[in-house]
Amino acid sequence: MHRPTTGTRYYIPDDGKLKMKNKIYPFYFSAGAVLLYSLFMVLPGLLGFFLSFTDWNRYSSEINFIGFQNFALIFSKKNYWNSIINTVIFTVVTIGLKTLFALILALLLTKGLKRFFNFHRAIIYLPSIIPMIVVGIVFKSILHPSSGVLNEFLRGMGLDFMAQKWLTNPDLALYSVALVDTWKGVGFIMVILIAGILVIPVEYYEAAQIDGANQWDELWNITLPLLMPTLTVTTVLNLLYGLKVFDVVWVLTNGGPGYATETVYTLVFKEFSKGRYGVSTALSTLLFVIMSICGYWLIKMMHSNELEA
Amino acid sequence: MNSKNMLLKLLGLMMILGMLVTACSTPATTTATEVPAPADTEEPAATEETGFAPGTTLTYIASQNWVLDSEIELAKKFETETGVHVDFQIIPSDQYFNVLETKLEAGGEGIDIFGGQSGKTDIQLQLDVKKNAVPLTDEEWVSRMNPLSVEQISLDGVTYGLTIWDTIGGSWVVVYNKQMFADNGLSVPTTYAEFAAACQTLQDAGINPVYEPFADGWHHVLWFLEMGPVYEAATPGLADALNANKATFAGNPTMTTALTELKEMYDKGYFGEDALSNEFANTEAVMAEGKYAMTVNRFGLPSQINKAYPDVAEDNFGFFVIPLADNQIWNVNPAAPSKFIYSGSKNIEAAKAYFEFLTRPENLQFMLDNEAQFTMLNFEGVNAELTADQQGFIDTYKEQGTVYQTAVNYVNPQWMDVGQTLTAMFTGAVTPEDVLAETDQRRADMAISAGDEAWK
Repeated sequence: MHRPTTGTRYYIPDDGKLKMKNKIYPFYFSAGAVLLYSLFMVLPGLLGFFLSFTDWNRYSSEINFIGFQNFALIFSKKNYWNSIINTVIFTVVTIGLKTLFALILALLLTKGLKRFFNFHRAIIYLPSIIPMIVVGIVFKSILHPSSGVLNEFLRGMGLDFMAQKWLTNPDLALYSVALVDTWKGVGFIMVILIAGILVIPVEYYEAAQIDGANQWDELWNITLPLLMPTLTVTTVLNLLYGLKVFDVVWVLTNGGPGYATETVYTLVFKEFSKGRYGVSTALSTLLFVIMSICGYWLIKMMHSNELEA
Repeated sequence: MNSKNMLLKLLGLMMILGMLVTACSTPATTTATEVPAPADTEEPAATEETGFAPGTTLTYIASQNWVLDSEIELAKKFETETGVHVDFQIIPSDQYFNVLETKLEAGGEGIDIFGGQSGKTDIQLQLDVKKNAVPLTDEEWVSRMNPLSVEQISLDGVTYGLTIWDTIGGSWVVVYNKQMFADNGLSVPTTYAEFAAACQTLQDAGINPVYEPFADGWHHVLWFLEMGPVYEAATPGLADALNANKATFAGNPTMTTALTELKEMYDKGYFGEDALSNEFANTEAVMAEGKYAMTVNRFGLPSQINKAYPDVAEDNFGFFVIPLADNQIWNVNPAAPSKFIYSGSKNIEAAKAYFEFLTRPENLQFMLDNEAQFTMLNFEGVNAELTADQQGFIDTYKEQGTVYQTAVNYVNPQWMDVGQTLTAMFTGAVTPEDVLAETDQRRADMAISAGDEAWK
């Protein structure tokens, strides 16, 4: 009875064939959401893009268009470059570590442990819900070079050579921060992977076992290929999180020692607090472009692998 | 019929949106004054006398270490007297200015009083007091505040804030353990060479020479910028030339010397093995326990140590100036942590009353008597008692000079950035020359943004 007054009447279902849809909700059902989304997401985004080409700052009420000067500044200064490189290193390291450990834990808690697995899942997930400021305070204490639990433990075991200045050695600090972030984030990724593993039909494994496949064969030929869509999701999530990392760096090292752990978003925050809003938004815009390119490329690459598999 | 339905639906949608907007905006417009009064039978009587709305709360945001324990005590008395509660929001020092500036940019977010460092550049550029602070020139207590303090908190003849601090005795000097010096046959150094030799002797004796809390990000900057008097003595008129953009930090031989010596101290381990993890809050403990022989602090540190560790005598500590670049001039900073009333506050009169309360002579005396870190206050009518060691320092260093974070424009607002660059220098990522060049660059960025004539 009801006929839509406007809006699209077509959609493409999973089989790829164009079909006509008669019963769709009228457009104004979404008007409120679209309005709020446009007002609070699209408009600030576009404004930010525009402002990155201006000299907007706290000290002057005038905003002048200055072309690509902010971007030229970013690419000409060692500190800005350094923050981009650190962000990329952090992202790559955390994607690798979180995926690896989350996969191992997910396999262990679905195919390995037969008892108390829900208890273990909860324990491993727990760090994900701890506020980052608490994580920062706890790990600053654990990683303290002279009085921290980690170094005390290593020295107690006679492994003095492994006791390091985890957060104050410029060669180590970024990796220490990445490890803490992995500890906190691995439970979340694990839960997603567990969900992915549990939806793989058990018949595949039974058929493989009849054909004489061992557990490695099952992992390589059934679990991983069928888990690829889930891994794509977790990798994209990790990628986006890694590229815009701020809180874990801020609470552990504040970007230091020196500029050793400075990332793009800690720099955005510092530039903003210095009142250099134009440079700050230019950095954000640059990161947005990098994130878009990386995300698109990654999804495309993983989807093509998925099809080949 | 259809168009009527459509109209009704649209009206319904607008009503829902209207309610949403109202619901979202209500908390933002709710001020502390609208909070219902607690069920206390005595409070209404107090508030009737003072004229402040029942349940008035002053939100005071400040950096760690700026709000004194004695002030918190006085705030309680103020509440008893007026019914106005002071809510202290203390922010870690390394994040304070970021938080404050973000709040000010966002329209204050309920702030009534905010803390800030005085000093002409800071209050103009960092705090933008002309926009953010209430003028206080006509307040009675302004005439009793030390003129140097008033100058540093005023712009174009208008006073914008209240400074209650030990601006003279608050100088940052080297506090040393006299017993350790005596045990190792050391005397107060008068040159960098003597200072380095003393550090080496202590290190050889198994004592960490200097406690330097690098982890806080701000303290180690003192070694560089508090040396202003020696830079000025080597190049008279340098601060004015820097402010007129006719000189630079980069290439200044005295500054390069001071930073090179500081780097040498770090490289030789005079700050201890885990210096970059040291925190300012642990200063009293490590000095009391004799883990370190020296630290840069104020005249009040020995008293603070004695208060926290009664077994450690106050007179076990002496003072000398930071001897980088052979400095022998007393570094004085008339700028200090100060309080400002936010111009967008709904409780301006209550905040003024709070300032008036704090500056009453008996309350100022209470603060001086109860703050171990203070030896004197920047107000008339407050009696200070100096120890023999404090008097000894004053008698030794007759010449005084102003520190560069106050004497030179666009320096104090970049304090934390200088700290970060200095740490990069210690870790070998940049050189002392780079530190100076980057300081110049940040000054130029700020000056150009501010439209400073000297940079056009």
